[in-house]
Amino acid sequence: MKILIRSAKIVQKGSSLNGLIRDIFIENGKIAEIGENLMVEADEVVEEEGLSVSAGWFDMRVHAKDPGLEYKEDLYSMESAAKAGGITEIATLPNTKPTVQTRESVQYLKNFGKNNLVAIHPMAAVTLKCEGKDFTEMIDLNQAGAVAFTDGEHPLQNADIFLKTLQYLAQFGGILVNRPEEENLTHFGQMHEGITSTLIGMKGMPKMAEDMMVMRDLKLLQYVVSSPLFKMPNRKSLLHFSCISTAESVEMIGQAKEMGLPVSCDVAAHQLAFTDENLFSFDPNLKVNPPFRAQEDVDALWEGLANGTIDAIVSDHNPHEEESKKLEFDMAEFGVIGLETLFPAIATNNEILSAEEIIEKITTGPRRILGIANPKIEIGQNANLTVFSADKTWNYTEKSIVSKSKNSPFIGQTFTGKAVAVINNGKFWKTEK
Amino acid sequence: MLSTRHLLGIKDLTLEDIELIMKTAQEFKDVLNRPIKKVPSLRDVTIANVFFENSTRTRLSFELAEKRLSADTINFSASGSSVKKGETLLDTVNNILAMKVDMIVMRHASPGAPHFLSKHIKANIVNAGDGTHEHPTQALLDSFSMREKLGDLAGKKIAIIGDILHSRVALSNIFALQKQGAEITLCGPTTLIPRHITELGVKVSHNVKETLKWCDVANVLRIQLERQQIKYFPSLREYSLYFGISKQMLDELDKEIVLMHPGPINRGVELTSDAADSHHSIILDQVENGVAVRMAVLYLLAAQN
Repeated sequence: MKILIRSAKIVQKGSSLNGLIRDIFIENGKIAEIGENLMVEADEVVEEEGLSVSAGWFDMRVHAKDPGLEYKEDLYSMESAAKAGGITEIATLPNTKPTVQTRESVQYLKNFGKNNLVAIHPMAAVTLKCEGKDFTEMIDLNQAGAVAFTDGEHPLQNADIFLKTLQYLAQFGGILVNRPEEENLTHFGQMHEGITSTLIGMKGMPKMAEDMMVMRDLKLLQYVVSSPLFKMPNRKSLLHFSCISTAESVEMIGQAKEMGLPVSCDVAAHQLAFTDENLFSFDPNLKVNPPFRAQEDVDALWEGLANGTIDAIVSDHNPHEEESKKLEFDMAEFGVIGLETLFPAIATNNEILSAEEIIEKITTGPRRILGIANPKIEIGQNANLTVFSADKTWNYTEKSIVSKSKNSPFIGQTFTGKAVAVINNGKFWKTEK
Repeated sequence: MLSTRHLLGIKDLTLEDIELIMKTAQEFKDVLNRPIKKVPSLRDVTIANVFFENSTRTRLSFELAEKRLSADTINFSASGSSVKKGETLLDTVNNILAMKVDMIVMRHASPGAPHFLSKHIKANIVNAGDGTHEHPTQALLDSFSMREKLGDLAGKKIAIIGDILHSRVALSNIFALQKQGAEITLCGPTTLIPRHITELGVKVSHNVKETLKWCDVANVLRIQLERQQIKYFPSLREYSLYFGISKQMLDELDKEIVLMHPGPINRGVELTSDAADSHHSIILDQVENGVAVRMAVLYLLAAQN
């Protein structure tokens, strides 16, 4: 197939083409030509006002629901949602039924990606069934293609298990991905603990529950790294904090990075768009974990993105069928979908990052953490590209949702910024106008 | 006219709404003292009392209020009903509404459940208690009962004593009393007082004797053992020793004090029997006023249609 992207601004930090408006011609999955006013015949042409093009976007936190929970999302609908959001590669959490804890379960996900546009990088469980007790065979799973290890929706609680995981992963350059939450402090919690939770009578989840886990985990990381047995892994990060949500977390992780600890972190896009005050509506589509925090936390998260403390922005895409969400708030499941809204949610709420920096957080940022090379926009390279409009405004409605589940907090909002087309693995997809 | 179609909470009411409800409740209280207690105001209005949580007095009080207003009433309670078969709240209520019901009085264990419902159905909704959030008619009848004793509540000192954390009565009372200009002190063990509550402009004390000395009214709350999913204090014995109220404590005060309790009382825990039954107590007046206040609420909401 021959594809022509007409007059798109190239967004790729460090490239000599960065910021230039060029035509890009792709033939048989490879970038064949880059130039101005290319005179070529193409099967597909992407052409509209104000286009940009970057390396294909990477979302490193997607709740795969297949196998086992296909009524929420299957691999096909997940792929469609990713494409609609301009995402060409995803890393999935292991919380499926069965859990991703065997070679076969890793390969099931990888193989689906190999035959489709969106590449899937499975993260495997740290402990069997993500119960936090007995370890999975992490070396073997790594060999099978697991890019990282995490118990996903179940933050590791036991300090000894946590410590041994870090020690064990360090020997082969693995990485632990963990969402910091001390669950003893969040039992029955529904939302951020603050004046809003007090006013609406909802059990709160204090920021402390995240902060003290970040503090503990950093201490354990330091203990591992300072061991005479420790070899620096071949990646920058040994411990990755997922979905951080508090100002104190940002500060502590920033300090740990300054000390040279091999740590990284991400934030979920929706966390940058809402505060706990939005919950006066009791809308179960605003129920997430970590919960929407106070404005000062949201400000600190943006600041952390700008100063480089936060490496990546993720969707934390977590589909739930209507029966799990159209309920009383405290009975509804935690989690929202986000693949389709990753970029628009960031771009619409952004006041601090440059367009280039936003793209960094959804391309090189997550790939560097997982040790995956970032696609280059150069002649001869495999085409792994996202074409987007940085300033197109559009209305996000329930009807426009591609994912099988409709649990988005953004329904009804006007967004700025939209993915227009994606190219990867010799395949092409374009939005309808 | 009220400013709202539903009574979901006191937080959303204006002072004018509260005054109107108080005035209307007084009229209904007068009616209730006549030989013929029934008025035809809500003839041909059908009200469903939908209780997903146990209740005796609130449900009886609502039902009586409805019958005194000549409304047709049906009762639904969670035990032995479709809820146990896994039906959703929305389905249950829509099924009831399909039988041409005009108003829903609902009690539910989830905070915001009536608010959720109000977004999906057309009938007027009266919140009869939603989890640890609000219990608006209780706060209204509490205010009505206080006003009977003390007149205007502006500047009056009201203490709310006990399990504030799990209490919907406390939150609704705070909203109602603040709108009427009263001063509020909350008193109880630290673990049962929400961390951020002082941001609402209330005082907090952990000393019951001091609090009793300060206040004009002591509204004592029930220890909500059924709503405490984890441990908050060591034992009922210790609670009653350090946070319970006895008649002796009330008699030692050099002033008159009004003692209230939304019921049901854990006798010997938050109140000793001799305190609950003393001349300070207006607990049974609260129950009596509850019917008149609920009549007022139902009447005023029905008038919105």
